[in-house]
Amino acid sequence: MNDQQTWVKIQREFDASIEDVWNMWTDPEMFKQWYGPMGMSVPIAEMDVVVGGIRKVCMEMKSPERTMSMWFTGVYKEVSSPSRLVYTESMCDEGGTIISPQSMGMPEGHPDITEVIVELSEADGRTTMTMVHVGVPEGSAGGGGWNQAFDSLEKLIGQSK
Amino acid sequence: MNTSDQLDAAFAALANPTRRAILAHLARGEATVNTLAEPFDMTLPAISKHSRVLENAGLITRGRDAQFRPCTLNTQPLQVVANWTDQYRHIWDARFDVMSGILQTMKESNDE
Repeated sequence: MNDQQTWVKIQREFDASIEDVWNMWTDPEMFKQWYGPMGMSVPIAEMDVVVGGIRKVCMEMKSPERTMSMWFTGVYKEVSSPSRLVYTESMCDEGGTIISPQSMGMPEGHPDITEVIVELSEADGRTTMTMVHVGVPEGSAGGGGWNQAFDSLEKLIGQSK
Repeated sequence: MNTSDQLDAAFAALANPTRRAILAHLARGEATVNTLAEPFDMTLPAISKHSRVLENAGLITRGRDAQFRPCTLNTQPLQVVANWTDQYRHIWDARFDVMSGILQTMKESNDE
């Protein structure tokens, strides 16, 4: 997938103050309310919003068969309230230990960390938010469980062609 | 199904290690539910249920042979979700829709 984009960029404008949008990202109780769309919920969000602080989020997906929990952890790299937030994200276990791609059955060498960059600016009482979610290249620091799962799916597609 | 619905169905179907393993098996060629069940410590009805979820998501198709109805991998929905950035964009868009609604509600209650 080298020829594909390894980042997502989304820009949104909200009819809200920059502080309110900042709190959406940094107040765990607010964060839980919007972070789990599409049948998911966020029962746990722990955030130490300082540079070097740890974050840990649990997402749950309930199906008739079972409840699947996915844990994510990361570190805050930049905290410039209320305009810029940068944090990393990795899949982890309940204890916060990062799950290696290998232990998930993925081939060696897959990135296991992604980085989320949020930039906010306010004008005339409205706030523009730019979010970039980037898969950090192999060898540096970026990826995510789904990233690896989709990499392996892509290999599946390649095999079946 | 439109792309968004297809992503939802495929995403839900893929959020399960057994079903991903079934797809990995089918990438090597068609197989009956009996054959698919062999590597798993699961009952045949349980595997049938997983294969129905995959079938409903359009990820596999079942043959017409009334007795065996072999499963075949259908890669088209996989291509939709294969690019992780497409998947994440879909998730983030849904999240920000929710965020926008919360901010709107906050504003309205402040304005009252």
